[in-house]
Amino acid sequence: MSPRRVAILLGKELVQGPKNFIFVWVIVGPVAISLALSLIFGTLVGEQPRLGIVAEAGSELVRKAREAATIAVRTFNSASALRQAVQSGVVDMGVVLPADFDTSIRKGDKITLTAFIWGESPARSRAILGVTLINLVREIAGQEPPLEVQSIALGEAVEIPWNERLLPLIVLMAVFLGGMFLPATSIISEKEKRTLTALRVTPTTLEEIFLAKGLVGIGLSLFSGVIILVLNQAFGAQPLLLVLVLALGAVMAAGLGLLLGAALKNITTLFAVWKSGGILLFGPAFIYMFPQIPQWIGRIFPTYYILQPVIEVSQQGAGWTGVATNIFILIGLDFLLIVSITLALKRSEQMALLA
Amino acid sequence: MIEGAIVAEELTYSYNGLLAVDHVSFSVAEGEILGFLGPNGAGKTTTVKMLTGQLRPKQGRAYLLGMDITQHAKKVQGQIGVCFEVTNLYEQMTAVENLKLFARLFGIRRFDAEVLLERVGLAGRGNDRVETYSKGMKQRLMVARAILNRPKVLFLDEPTVGLDPTSAEAIRNIILEERKRGATVFLTTHDMLDAEKLSDRVAFMNQGKIVALDTPHNLKQKYGRRALKAKVLSRDGELEDREVPMDTPETPRLVQELFSKEKVVTVHSEEATLEDIFIEITGRGLVE
Repeated sequence: MSPRRVAILLGKELVQGPKNFIFVWVIVGPVAISLALSLIFGTLVGEQPRLGIVAEAGSELVRKAREAATIAVRTFNSASALRQAVQSGVVDMGVVLPADFDTSIRKGDKITLTAFIWGESPARSRAILGVTLINLVREIAGQEPPLEVQSIALGEAVEIPWNERLLPLIVLMAVFLGGMFLPATSIISEKEKRTLTALRVTPTTLEEIFLAKGLVGIGLSLFSGVIILVLNQAFGAQPLLLVLVLALGAVMAAGLGLLLGAALKNITTLFAVWKSGGILLFGPAFIYMFPQIPQWIGRIFPTYYILQPVIEVSQQGAGWTGVATNIFILIGLDFLLIVSITLALKRSEQMALLA
Repeated sequence: MIEGAIVAEELTYSYNGLLAVDHVSFSVAEGEILGFLGPNGAGKTTTVKMLTGQLRPKQGRAYLLGMDITQHAKKVQGQIGVCFEVTNLYEQMTAVENLKLFARLFGIRRFDAEVLLERVGLAGRGNDRVETYSKGMKQRLMVARAILNRPKVLFLDEPTVGLDPTSAEAIRNIILEERKRGATVFLTTHDMLDAEKLSDRVAFMNQGKIVALDTPHNLKQKYGRRALKAKVLSRDGELEDREVPMDTPETPRLVQELFSKEKVVTVHSEEATLEDIFIEITGRGLVE
């Protein structure tokens, strides 16, 4: 394996790739869908999550919350006024602070807060408000806050909003369209035009050719995934963790693309496989869209292990510990895929590669 | 120590049980041009694929430049050049970009694409996209790509097929120049004239086997039939053909009889072509 030759081939792919209509399709497709959905659901210009507070005796929490750049704060005179504001969606979350709130948390007394949550508020807003609230209390207390929050959902809808239900599908499309299609079409095109044969009688190895194409797929997949999360304001509080999940997903997408490219003889067959096998990729996203379907079914699909951490981190505010198991399974799946590609290359003479 | 730039020992390959190359053995000396002739499906391309490391032989071995191709494929491929019959260039790239890409893959640091393009008669067209080229231009670019690493062994698969006379002649000249430089040339062709003009030796392949391998002169001596062809005027004024076989004990008498008994209008000697010899050996033509 020569890094120099991989870099040369990578350069060729990057220069030639954008000339391919597939390249434009895989980039533009998910972004266009995402923008369209943002316009439909009115989330293109995202508002800050809104927190309502009742603090009759005053509290440092109100001052600190107003200073926080990530949330908008409104104060209310009574618990009933706050409850009405949450119910009508004026704020996403509302909390009533007891009179001795600041003193109690500084002393380390255990406090139970009741939080009213607007049923239609985006999960992302809930996650940001929850995390911000805990951080502010920690700042005031100077220690891990002995705080318990009881949530009460208010309002007509208490289910996941449609723009959030569609996000997993768009993320998977972004990750797999670019990551899978570009390497697959590139290899198939080289086979159809026989340029792969020309490369193979140089010192260049198949592994180098595949690695270069795989890297382009991974890069494009990761880029598309990040763009989609940015457009949907779904990066949440753990952007690096999300990038890690997307990168592992990109490896899966590119790996599948390389395997398909090695096995298939023409673009028509690739599209046929895409049409018939797409459900295997997007199954978990469809299941997530309809909560009445038992959600455990999603675990059957490999892409579940990309999707679930993305949902948990971006919509439910989960951290590393919450998604670690799924990430390790994802790493295992990627490893299996890489082993499969290596074996496929070693058996290349028996595959369509030389047809 | 393996003698010869190319050595094939009992090379065998089959596709799904169908024998394509059947225990083929031969060697090509350094600086030699070997013409590899045979009809479609004879096993020529499969043999070339095994020799260039694209296919692993089911049986037998192939040595290039003293190295076993199956064990040292990439090392060997760094020292050979291959020109394919079917165009396989990056058509959306320019000629210069195509050549530079392959030069970099071969690890060539100082490379002047323009000089090479001039050599194959494509000077001034280097920055045009290959998709705008004619078939002859593409073929010449393929030859340029095959020789850019100054290969020690050059494989050419039907390099002049379907080309205009100018392009074909340009490619023939390059083959001779490469041989003069010291390269060994393995020339697969249907074209009898190419084979005869260029090859030091020719191999006839039929149904997966090499059925004859020698210099064109020796093959003609061994298998060819020379004849004297004459046109004579018949009694009713029509022109008729007469043929007198040469190199037989009867030849002098038959020639004497021809001139004494017939009114000879024209006469010329005719040598057997490689095509004739192939038919003589295999019972089938080279182009089917």
